[in-house]
Amino acid sequence: MSTLVVRRAPITRVLRSELRMVLRRPRTLIGLGLLALVPVLMGIGIAIATANGEEGGAEGLAALVIGNGMLLPIFALSIAMAMLLPLTGAMLAADALAGESAHGTLRGMLMAPVGRGRLLAVKAFGVASVTLIAVLLMALTGIISGVLLLGGDGMLTASGTSLPFLDALGRVLITALYVTLQVWALAAVALAVSAFTEHPLIVVVVSLGLVIVSGVLAAIPALDWLDPVLVTTSWDAVSEVVRDPIEWGPLVEGGLRALCYLVIGGSIAYSRMLTRDG
Amino acid sequence: MSGLTEQGAAAVGTAAARTKGLRKVYRGTVAVDNVDLEVPTGAVLGMLGPNGSGKTTTIRMLLGLVTPTAGEVELLGQKMPDGAAKALPEVGALVEGPGFYPFLSGRENLLRFGAAEPLLATADIPNAVGTAIERVGLTAAAGRRFRGYSLGMKQRLGLAAALLVPRKFVVLDEPTNGLDPAGTREIRTIIADLHAAGTTVLVSSHLLAEVEATCTHVAVLNQGTVVAQGELSALLEAGSASLLVTTPEATAAVDALRDQRVPARPTPEGVRVDLTATTAPAVVEVLVRAGVPVYEVRKQRTGLEDLFARLTEASSAADLAELDTLITEEAR
Repeated sequence: MSTLVVRRAPITRVLRSELRMVLRRPRTLIGLGLLALVPVLMGIGIAIATANGEEGGAEGLAALVIGNGMLLPIFALSIAMAMLLPLTGAMLAADALAGESAHGTLRGMLMAPVGRGRLLAVKAFGVASVTLIAVLLMALTGIISGVLLLGGDGMLTASGTSLPFLDALGRVLITALYVTLQVWALAAVALAVSAFTEHPLIVVVVSLGLVIVSGVLAAIPALDWLDPVLVTTSWDAVSEVVRDPIEWGPLVEGGLRALCYLVIGGSIAYSRMLTRDG
Repeated sequence: MSGLTEQGAAAVGTAAARTKGLRKVYRGTVAVDNVDLEVPTGAVLGMLGPNGSGKTTTIRMLLGLVTPTAGEVELLGQKMPDGAAKALPEVGALVEGPGFYPFLSGRENLLRFGAAEPLLATADIPNAVGTAIERVGLTAAAGRRFRGYSLGMKQRLGLAAALLVPRKFVVLDEPTNGLDPAGTREIRTIIADLHAAGTTVLVSSHLLAEVEATCTHVAVLNQGTVVAQGELSALLEAGSASLLVTTPEATAAVDALRDQRVPARPTPEGVRVDLTATTAPAVVEVLVRAGVPVYEVRKQRTGLEDLFARLTEASSAADLAELDTLITEEAR
């Protein structure tokens, strides 16, 4: 009897299986499809608005983007970061633990056994991967529809300079990574909530509630001292990527803030997973 | 080294699973209290009990899914839940209705759980899944989405997941839930096969016939505690302390026995004599001395149903304690 030793399934095999499962979930596929459509619809909308408007009459966003197709993915991502991408991250995190617990599949993984710590890592990997896929997909459809619908192979920066295509591509990539990191931060909090409940809806409500409440608190001048700890504080910093040269300060600060949330959310989720009833 | 000697020793001395003073409290409600359960290696133990008697909670603690409030759990010699990584690869379980992904087919679900099984080599997973599906008779439905499965099919898939790898210990919580009579028979066959292969099996059920037909050992739970456990035959023996006497002169027989302070009553099949305070030869002697013609004397096997009813319906604690001591004494 004492001859039993610790045996584990190869982690890459479990990770691959997790990713395959999440990408087979209808909800994931529908979400990815809708997100991919966002830049396309924005591109079409701007193209129509400009075509209808009088010469030089286009205003704001449209005026800036027209002829600068590479700006479209950046605008699309920063708009989606306000609500759509956090919603996606929260949904993924909600299904990962709370949803699977309700279906009884979490129990199956625990009994295999996939250790509790490992199981959390596998679930976090699934959430993080699909979030990254969603953002990259938006960037891709944004670039394609931007170049095709709005034209231009370069990018006009907010500083008035013009960037060649490859530099513009780099800026899109930086945007994508920054947005991904911010969504991961929120998803980490969502995963922590997810570890406490069997109801995915609670996770989504709490996570989006956090985003909304953070936005409200940030808007109250008397509560400015709260800003450094709000999850949404650095989300605006994404606009720095359209400056020339890039102002790295706010982006790095935002990255660090996101890392703090990742550590906090991850730790809470981990401590809960160790004692959670399966 | 897993020589014959070691296996032999395991078969004699150790239990595949053991709990001591197990207790679980959920938000002030005591689900399980003071459970001392022992599952002998190689046995098929039937865990009986009415709904809410703590069967599933006990099983979940056994598998390390739930941490006990108090008490100890040992599974295949490993303290649980800490030893889960060592013990659980050798354990297959179907607990609380099977949990699967509704949007994946039966086969894809098993492939997913196969990927998490430590004892399966990556190349062997498709084969193991195919074999398990065949074993539970689900081949025709394996390609369909789990969402559309009937209750019985879900149950079969859960069983297939538990049997993906050859196990040392298999736990089946209400395995025949939702199965048709043919399915129930198949489960019995599977349990018998597991038993023949030396696998220890723990089956929980509220269906008595199922347990009586497949188990070597029984543990009866009621209101969160074990009220009886032991070998099935010994328990039945203990629960059936009565003798059935066939005689044309029933009244004379009852009178004669009552004169000797032996409880007896006439029934349509004959005179039923309570054996708790006396023995069969003594009863026959009393009858013969009284001149009562005796055609036949049979020890009455009560069957599990009577025993179960007496154990779980005994209302007063005193009754229960009395029965308990009686049964555990007899069983040992």
